[in-house]
Amino acid sequence: MTQIVFNSFLLAMLTVPVVTLVSQRWRKAHAIPAVVLMGSLAVGIAAAAEGFWRGQRFTVDVSQVASFPFALGVDRLSAFFLLLICSVSLPVILFSSSYVTRHYAGARRHWLWVLLPLFLMSMVLVVTASTAFAFLFGWELMTLFSAGLILIDGDSEQRRHNIFVYLLMMHAGAAAVIGAFLLFLPHAGNFAQMRASATSMPPSLRTAVFLLAFVGFGTKAGIVPLHLWLPRAHPIAPSPVSALMSGVMLKTAIYGFVRFAFDFLGGGPSWWGYLVLLAGGVSGLLGVLYAISEHDLKRLLAYHSVENIGIIYLGLGAALVFLANHAPLWAALALTAALLHCLNHAIFKSLLFLGAGAISDAAHTLDLEDLGGLQKRMPLTGVVFLIACCSIVGLPLFSGFVSEWLTFRSFLAASELTNLSAAIVLPLAAGVLALIGGLAAACFAKVYGVAFLGRPRSLEAGIANEVSLPMQAGMGALATACVVIGVFPSLVLRGLGTLTEELIPGAALPQAAASLSGVLPWIALFFLVLVVGIAAFNRAKKLTATWACGLPGLDERMQYTSTAFSKPLRRVFSQVYKADRTLEVVPGDPPYFPTSISYRSVRTTSFEKFLYRPGVDAIVAAALRLRQLQTGNIQIYLLYIFAALIALLMFMRFV
Amino acid sequence: MKLLINAVQVLLLLLLAPLVRGVIARLKARIQNRRGASVWRPYTDLLKLFRKEDLVPDSASFVFRLAPIVLFAATLVVAAFVPLLHGSALLDATGDFVLLVYLLALGRFFLMLGAMDGGSSFGGMGASREALVSTLAEAPFLLALVSAAIAARTGSIAGMVQWTLGQDFFQFSAVHALAFAALALVAIAETGRIPVDNPTTHLELTMIHEAMVLEYSGPSLALIEWASAIKLTVVMALLIALFVPWGMAGSISALAIAVASIVLLLKMAALVLALALVESSVAKLRMYLVPDFLGVASALAILAVVFTALMR
Amino acid sequence: MGLFETAAAKALASSGVFLFMTVLLIAAAKRISTCIALFSVQSLVITAQIIAVSRMHHSAEGFVIAAMVLTVKVVAIPYVLYRIVEELKAPRDVSSSTSSSQSVFIAAGLILLSFFAVRPYVGVLGGDQAMLAAAVALVLTGGFLMVSRKKALMQVVGLLVLDNGIFLAALTTTFGMPLVIEIGIVFDLLMGVFLMGLFVFRIRDTFDHLDVSKLRRLRG
Repeated sequence: MTQIVFNSFLLAMLTVPVVTLVSQRWRKAHAIPAVVLMGSLAVGIAAAAEGFWRGQRFTVDVSQVASFPFALGVDRLSAFFLLLICSVSLPVILFSSSYVTRHYAGARRHWLWVLLPLFLMSMVLVVTASTAFAFLFGWELMTLFSAGLILIDGDSEQRRHNIFVYLLMMHAGAAAVIGAFLLFLPHAGNFAQMRASATSMPPSLRTAVFLLAFVGFGTKAGIVPLHLWLPRAHPIAPSPVSALMSGVMLKTAIYGFVRFAFDFLGGGPSWWGYLVLLAGGVSGLLGVLYAISEHDLKRLLAYHSVENIGIIYLGLGAALVFLANHAPLWAALALTAALLHCLNHAIFKSLLFLGAGAISDAAHTLDLEDLGGLQKRMPLTGVVFLIACCSIVGLPLFSGFVSEWLTFRSFLAASELTNLSAAIVLPLAAGVLALIGGLAAACFAKVYGVAFLGRPRSLEAGIANEVSLPMQAGMGALATACVVIGVFPSLVLRGLGTLTEELIPGAALPQAAASLSGVLPWIALFFLVLVVGIAAFNRAKKLTATWACGLPGLDERMQYTSTAFSKPLRRVFSQVYKADRTLEVVPGDPPYFPTSISYRSVRTTSFEKFLYRPGVDAIVAAALRLRQLQTGNIQIYLLYIFAALIALLMFMRFV
Repeated sequence: MKLLINAVQVLLLLLLAPLVRGVIARLKARIQNRRGASVWRPYTDLLKLFRKEDLVPDSASFVFRLAPIVLFAATLVVAAFVPLLHGSALLDATGDFVLLVYLLALGRFFLMLGAMDGGSSFGGMGASREALVSTLAEAPFLLALVSAAIAARTGSIAGMVQWTLGQDFFQFSAVHALAFAALALVAIAETGRIPVDNPTTHLELTMIHEAMVLEYSGPSLALIEWASAIKLTVVMALLIALFVPWGMAGSISALAIAVASIVLLLKMAALVLALALVESSVAKLRMYLVPDFLGVASALAILAVVFTALMR
Repeated sequence: MGLFETAAAKALASSGVFLFMTVLLIAAAKRISTCIALFSVQSLVITAQIIAVSRMHHSAEGFVIAAMVLTVKVVAIPYVLYRIVEELKAPRDVSSSTSSSQSVFIAAGLILLSFFAVRPYVGVLGGDQAMLAAAVALVLTGGFLMVSRKKALMQVVGLLVLDNGIFLAALTTTFGMPLVIEIGIVFDLLMGVFLMGLFVFRIRDTFDHLDVSKLRRLRG
C-alpha cells in the first residue's frame, strides 16, 4: 500500500513540469503548478513518514526496463532525508507561489516552475538511489538544475562568473565522489553489494574511499576550505531557491557522507574522526566569523550555512571517534545529534532565507545598513524571523538547542573513554562549539536588531508592508516546526534513535536524550505562564520619543549600524579578517570640517589568495607548457602516433 | 517534602537577590569611606519602579516590552537548577549545566534585542559591547562546568554537588581549583561587575549593561534590575554549591535545614565581602583588554579540562 | 601530630596546583610588581613543600634549607626588587612582545608540554607526576619570561622563576641537594640580584631606557 504511495509521489513530481507547460496558456492558472507541486510533496511526506517512523522500505527498480542500473531503494536513512526534503520544500513552495508571481513574469516564471520540481526531484533521486548510477545521475542533475535556477535571476558578467565557480567546484567534488564509487569496483553496482564488499577491503583502500568521499561530499556541503562557492552561489539565487539550496541541498551531501562513512565503511580508525572534527571546528568558527563581518543579508546567511555544516561535522566526527573506540552507544548519540541538526538547520535556514525574500519583497533591499524598524511594519514576518534567529543561535525552547545540547552531551561522554587523546580532544571540542554558539548569538542579535528593530534607516524600509498571505503561511509553518521540535523533541528523537540503531550495530539511544525531553515542556509552560501573566498585568504604557539621555535632534542614522555592531568582535579577531582599510578625507575650508570622508574596509579572501590562486596558476602554467605539444604540424602528430605504437609493442614484449 | 524545600530554594534566591546587591553596595561604600545607602534600598527601588508606568519609545515594537519579561523568566528558571540548602534542586536533568548556560544566553539575547529596539545609539552600543563580552565568556563558562562534570562523572548540577559533598575537603583537586578560578573570572564577566563592567556608572564610555537598559523605565526596568540581581545571586550560589558545598543538609529535617541556611548565609557573606573588596581595589578594564581577561579564564578552563584526563 | 602529617601529605599532593596557577598568573601579569609578588608566592609554596618533605624524611637539614629559602627567596630578594622598581621611577609595566592572553595560552601550552615530557619518567625517578611537571613548567616559564619580556628587571624575575623550577626538580627527585650546594646557590642568587640592581641603574643612566631588546650594539 505504501509502496503505491511512494510511486505515486514520484509520478506526481514528474508531472509538474508538464502541468506548467500546459497551464501557461491560461492567464488565471498561475497557481496550478504550485498547487500540484505542493500536493505531490504532501504525498511524499506521507511516504517518508511511513519509512522513517514505521520502517517501511520501498524499492523502484527500472534496471530491467532501461539498459543501465537505475534503481531506487528507501531505507530508514533515506526516508529521514526524504522527509526532510519534502517537509521543508512544502512551505518553501507555498511561499514561492506568491513570491514568484510577484517578482517574475512570462518566460522566467515558467522556467522557474519547470526547473523547481525538477530540482526537487533530483534531490529526491539522490537520497533514494540504491545504485551508484542513480545516485550520480541525481547528483549531477542537482548541480545543473540549481545553476539553471540561479541563471533565471539574470546573467550579468559578475553572476556568470559566480555560477562558473559554482559549477566548477561542484564538478570537482562530483569527480571525487565518482572516484569513491569507482573504488568499489567490481561490486559497485548496488548499495547492498557495496556494503557487503566493504568488509573485505584492505585498509588502504578503505582510507582512499573515505578521503575521496570526505573531499567530494565536503565540497558539496561547504566545509572550509572547500566552501568558496557557497557565498558566491547562494546570495545570487532567487530567495526560495536559496532556501532550498542552503536548507536542503547541503543536506544531501551530509546524506552521502553518512551513507559512505557509516553505512558502507562502518567507521574506521580514529584519525578519520579527528579529521572530520577538525574540518567541522574550523568551518564552524570561520563560517561564523566571516558572517559577522557581512552586512548583505544573504551572504551572511550563506556563511552561516558553512558554520552549521561545521557543527554537523563536529557531531559526525565525534561519532566516528566513538566508533573507533568501541563505544557504539555514544556514537549513536553523536550521530543522532548530527542528523537532528541536519533537520533543524534545514528548517530554520530555509525560514531565514524566506524571511530575506520577504524583506527584499517589502523593502527592496537586502543591505542591513538600509533596513530597520521592520518589526512594526511586518509583524508576522518579524516574529517568524525572530523564531528562526533564536533557533539558529541555539537558545532553549527552540529546535537548535536540542541538537546542540545532544552534541555537547556526546562530547562530555568522551571522558569515559580509555583513549587519552579522545578524552582530551572531544571535551575541548565542546569549548569550540560554545565559542561558535556565542559568536552566532552576537551575529543574529545584530541581524535581527539592525533589520527589524529600532527605526528605519532608509525611506524604503520605512514604507515596507507585510507580505502576502501565502508567503506568511509558508514562513509560519516552518516557524511552528522550530518551536514544536524545540519543546517536544521526543517526537523526532524516537525515530532518529531507531535510525542510528540500524546504522551502528550494537547501539541504542542513551537515556541522556530522554531526560532533557522531560524538562523542556515544563520550562516552556513556565515561560508561557510568566510571560502571559506579566504582560497581562503590566498593560499600562505611555508612548514617548526615545529618551537617549535627553539628546536633541536624534535621527535614525545615529543608531548603530551592522558594521558598527560587529566592530568589537572584528577587532578582537582581526587576525582572521586582515582587512584592507582605506580612509579618504577631503578637507574643507577650515580644515577641521571636512567636505567628505570615505572609509572602505575590505576583508581579505585569504583562502582564495593563498590556497586557490597558487593552485590555479600552477595548473594554468603547466597547461601552457603542455600546449607546446600542439604544434599544428601534421608530421609531428603522425610521429606521436608511431611513437605510441612503438611504445605499445615494447610494452607487450616486456610484460 | 523535597519538592517544598526545592521550591523554597528558588523563592529564597528570588527574594534575597536585591539584598545581596544592597549589601555589596553598602560594603563598597564603607570601604571607600562613604556612608552608603541602606541595604534595603534595592527593595524600595523595585517597589517604586513597579508603581510607575512604562515609558515606551514610539518607534519600538513589542520586543521592547517582551525582552525584560523573557530575561526575568530565563533567570528565574536558571535559579531552579541550583541547589542551595540540600543536594538537590527543583529542576534536575542530565546535562542541565548546558541548559543553564544557554538559558542565561537566552535572557541576554533578548536584552540585547530590547536595547536595540530603543532606537538610540546607546542601546546599540551596549548591545555591541555585551555581544563582545558574552561571546568570549561563554566558552570558558561551559568548559569549566564540563571539567567539573567530568570530574564528578555526572551530568547534572545537583549530581555534581552531591559528588563534591561526598569528597574530602583537603583532597584539593587540580581540576576543581582551575575550574573554580576560571568560573570566578567568568562570573565577574557574566554578572557585569568591575573589572569587566561598572554596574553603577553614569559615563557612556564605561557602560555595557547600563547602556542597554538606558531607555527602560517603570516595571520593565524593575524586572531587568531584579533579573540582574537574581543572576548575580545565582552565579554566587552556583560557585558555592559546586566548589564548597559542605554544610548542606544531608537529610530533610528541620535542624539540618536550619544549619544549612546559616552556613549558606556565612558563605554568601564571605563571597559578598570578597566581591566588594575586589571591586573596590581593582580598576575597570578598558573594553579591549576584556578579551585578555577572558583569555586567562579560557586558558584556565582548557587546562582544567585537559587535567581531567591527565590526572586520572 | 597525626593531623599535621595528614595535612602535610595532602598539602604536598595539591601544591602542584598552586604552582600551575602562579605560572599562568605570572604569564598574564602586566606589572613588574605583580610578577615579583607571584615569585614570592611561588617560593612560599616551595618552602611549604620543603617543610613537608623534611617532615616526612625527618631530616634536620631540610628545615635549615627551608628557613634559608624563606628568608632569601620569599622576603629578601622580592624586597630588594621592589626597592629597585621604586627607585627607578620608570613605567612599571612589563613590556612584553606577546599580549596578555597570548602569553597565558603559551603558558598553558608549556604546562601541557611539561606533563607530556615527564610522563615516561614518573615511575623511574620517584616523586609524583604533578610536582615533576610543575618543576619543568617553572623552568620553561622562566625561559619564556626571559625571552618575551623586554624590561631588564623581568630578565631577573625570569631567571629566578627558572631557578625555582630547578630547585623543585631537585627536591622532587632526590629530596634536595646537599646542604653546602644549596647554601651556595642561594647566596649566588642573592649576590646576582644585588649586582643586577646596581647594573640596572647604570644601564638606565647610560642608555636612558631599560629595554633589553634595544641593547644590540655588541654584534659582528
